[in-house]
Amino acid sequence: MTDRINEQISAFLDGELPSGEIGLLARRMERDGELRRAFGSYVLAGEVLRSPGGITARPDFAARVSAAIDSSASESSGQAPLASRSSRWSRPALATAVAASAALAAVLLVRPDMRGGEDITAGNADPGAATLAAFPPGGASPTPAQSQRLAGYLVAHSQFASPIGRRNVWTGVLAADPGIARVAYDAVEAR
Amino acid sequence: MANFPPVDGSIQPHEPRDEDARPASGIEQSDLELVRRAQRGERGAFDLLVLRYQHKVIKLVARLLRDPTEAEDVAQDAFVKAYRALGSFRGDSAFYTWLYRIAVNTARNVMASRQRRPLDYEADLNESEQSAVESRMRHTDTPEAAVLSEEIHQTVNHAVEQLPEDLRTAIILREVEGLSYEEIAEAMDCPVGTVRSRIFRAREAIDRSLKPLLD
Repeated sequence: MTDRINEQISAFLDGELPSGEIGLLARRMERDGELRRAFGSYVLAGEVLRSPGGITARPDFAARVSAAIDSSASESSGQAPLASRSSRWSRPALATAVAASAALAAVLLVRPDMRGGEDITAGNADPGAATLAAFPPGGASPTPAQSQRLAGYLVAHSQFASPIGRRNVWTGVLAADPGIARVAYDAVEAR
Repeated sequence: MANFPPVDGSIQPHEPRDEDARPASGIEQSDLELVRRAQRGERGAFDLLVLRYQHKVIKLVARLLRDPTEAEDVAQDAFVKAYRALGSFRGDSAFYTWLYRIAVNTARNVMASRQRRPLDYEADLNESEQSAVESRMRHTDTPEAAVLSEEIHQTVNHAVEQLPEDLRTAIILREVEGLSYEEIAEAMDCPVGTVRSRIFRAREAIDRSLKPLLD
């Protein structure tokens, strides 16, 4: 069983795995640390063979990137560290519920004429803007992950506020940024 | 090096479009599958992309900075930026082209902040310059990392030397020459399935040698 899966990983690395098998393999690798380790080892061997004596990443590099992403997400959203420690697998359901709440609030608070958003990212060199850059200009719908991240941000900044204060926070954020308002509004429309 | 489009130090909201639409390679398709999953919120899928491209991005950044001691930190920053901007990736270009552009921008920002003369990122370093940079990287790193790196290289090369001839040929044709399974099958006069199996067995043998070093 493991040999068969590892052979699939090897073919996947070479772009030779049939497309119908990629999804299941990706899910397996996301869940199984040993499969990810094997994948990393195959990648490393290839790099060494292609550039003998060249530069390779330290073994813990990918783990450091993962931790930095967690840390970055936690800082940018103002969430408590507990949020980033929560189970990766429980996050989607929770976030979907939160996104629905935020979207409902948005439809109550945002005027329809605010939908004409602009590209808010052009020329912005702030790394933090990369999150906003994720929202496609021109009215395209955001991905669920984007809506979830936005909703998480709104909730995290108002979870300790009174209902009146919470409403004010959301009103302020949404009114200040037509791009964000559009995302929330479109999320409701898409339902 | 690839011809990257002009950059202004910021992450562009969208990747450049390949005007001459060509069929995506198998690797691009598998990358795209991982990107789509990551865009749906599956962090593990992005972790796999990091595993696949970490060495290439570090190597690229080290060459651009000409001061390789910071390469891993800057590469890490580039991956974090890529993750945060992943929603803007639509698949018009290959993921690695998009990722490399973010890495180039990140390295250029570091160089600008140092007020150094930035290296023309379209001008490739010649072989001796690359070798000098990589050599410096290995010698200025911590002693432990330098030893580990040396051991990894020796172990991989020794493991390949010990492989049966058919496995060694298959893995070299794939990893060094970059041939597809079909091309290797033609070169070795065997079925594609046999090529796939030989490459896997070669990797497994190398992995068995590497595992004690990496654990």
